[in-house]
Amino acid sequence: MEGLFFNVNGGYIEGIVRGYRNSLLTGQNYNNLTQCETIDDVKLQLSPAYGDFLASLPPNPSTSSLANKTTDKLVAEFRYLQAQAVGSIAKFMEYLTYGYMIDNVALLITGTLHERDTRELLERCHPLGWFETMPVLCVATNIEELYNSVLIETPLASYFKGSLSHQDLDELNIEIIRNTLYKNYLEDFYKFVTENPELKGTPTSEVMAEVLEFEADRRAINITLNSFGTELSKQDRKKLYPDFGGLYPEGTLMLSRADDLEGVALAVSGNHDYKSYFDQVGMSGGTSSVGNMAGGGAESKSLEDMFYQKEMEISRTVFTRQFTHAVIYAWVKLREQEIRNITWIAECIAQQQKERIGNYISVF
Amino acid sequence: MSGAGDREAVFPTRQSLGLMKNKLKGAETGHSLLKRKSEALTKRFREITRRIDEAKRKMGRVMQIAAFSLAEVTYAVGGDIGYQIQESAKQARFRVRTKQENVSGVFLPQFESYTTEGNNDFGLTGLGKGGQQVQRCRETYARAVETLVELASLQTAFVILDEVIKVVNRRVNAIEHVIIPRTENTIKYINSELDELDREEFYRLKKVKNNKQRDNDAKELEAASKRRGSDKENTADDPGATDILGEQEDQDVIF
Repeated sequence: MEGLFFNVNGGYIEGIVRGYRNSLLTGQNYNNLTQCETIDDVKLQLSPAYGDFLASLPPNPSTSSLANKTTDKLVAEFRYLQAQAVGSIAKFMEYLTYGYMIDNVALLITGTLHERDTRELLERCHPLGWFETMPVLCVATNIEELYNSVLIETPLASYFKGSLSHQDLDELNIEIIRNTLYKNYLEDFYKFVTENPELKGTPTSEVMAEVLEFEADRRAINITLNSFGTELSKQDRKKLYPDFGGLYPEGTLMLSRADDLEGVALAVSGNHDYKSYFDQVGMSGGTSSVGNMAGGGAESKSLEDMFYQKEMEISRTVFTRQFTHAVIYAWVKLREQEIRNITWIAECIAQQQKERIGNYISVF
Repeated sequence: MSGAGDREAVFPTRQSLGLMKNKLKGAETGHSLLKRKSEALTKRFREITRRIDEAKRKMGRVMQIAAFSLAEVTYAVGGDIGYQIQESAKQARFRVRTKQENVSGVFLPQFESYTTEGNNDFGLTGLGKGGQQVQRCRETYARAVETLVELASLQTAFVILDEVIKVVNRRVNAIEHVIIPRTENTIKYINSELDELDREEFYRLKKVKNNKQRDNDAKELEAASKRRGSDKENTADDPGATDILGEQEDQDVIF
């Protein structure tokens, strides 16, 4: 039934996205990349996929400029799609950008808090998270002004409202603010895909619910793991967990009480996937081995790697569904991972540390 | 004799000879002391050179690992966190204090690093993702900075020691090749001058003695001839003999 009318608004965009998806680098491409000896070789290998965007790079570019250029391509394609989108797709794509906006706003808040000239921060902001009123944020010189007159005008205002006051901006750690915003954003996004009349009951809501639930779980687990040994209290930590997801509510409750890696493993043991991740990471290694990405050998993967892997697998399977907005989300995520992969490979080549070059995640 | 080498401008007297001899002795003692100091410093210097070599190699390795862990952070966080880290760091966690070490009278500064505990300004960075990589990267860089501090203290010691060794060696060489030869020259000169004076004195005495001898001889001769002349006058009046006598008497008056 949903296929009947989807193509009226979304057919073209879906087609384009599927075309973009086909231009993603494959395992073969990655193999070629890992054989490269210099960054120039990498550039050459990337030229079929990234052609124009890499052309302006000087010989032997730095890895960060390479990453910037590849991001530029993602942004350009995203902007093109956004220009074509109407109705619920346009709204959906806006939601996609909110995540980046949160990062940008957090950056600007940091700048304002430390009374820096925030104008120079604008160019450090992620281009996908750019919104029209963002330069206005720079006008505010103190945090109260920022909160009362500027943040209200941003698309993120609803995420600030109710959970953060302007005193909070001043006192709380910027990371907590960022994660609170992100939690609100995820919940809002989840509500949007499940309850919006246009999306309710469509494959979009089905697929996106799964994706977002995974995202929520991942954040909850990561926040828990990363907060060990910091001043973040358990109550505060609990407030950062999104109120939905595969682990919600029992799992998140247990996460909020976890003191160490075992506690986290116990909390997620209800979910088969996460449990197997924790088993693979190896409980024996203790907390230290969790975060360090593939610490010693190339074959042992860190938890973060596995989450990325899982995210990529979900994103890949999204393309098996038709008539859904979720392909856009999946494409953006795949593309981001690709940029990370390229950066990683380039970094390994630049630093002559080839032994762990195979640490990228390729799903095609 | 005095042209053979430069010497100090002294009067060749016995007093200055004594002074010079003292000076030579002092210079020799100083020379051996300085030589020993220079050897001690050189030993230290070589050790420092070796340690610098080690530290530099270590730094190469550590910096490589550190740069790589930064790459890991970039991969895990998926973005630039540099600004956020810069802004959230309020207090130095890693600090350096200096000490002084005394090596044969040379003060070498030594830098010592220590970390203030419980100061974790960006402990929450990467809370959502990549937090552990950030912490790990920080630890790796802390180790890298430690190596740098060690290297810095070695390098400073290296530079200072180098300077000091140069100065000491210059002094040793100056004493060995300038002051000691010059003093020796001076002593030789004074000795030779004194000898010369001695010889002159001796000759003079001899001359005086000779003269006295001759005078005595002449007087005796005169006396003898007078005695003989009076005998002759008494016997036969000889005018020639009287003339000679008169002249001699004149000469005697002159002398």
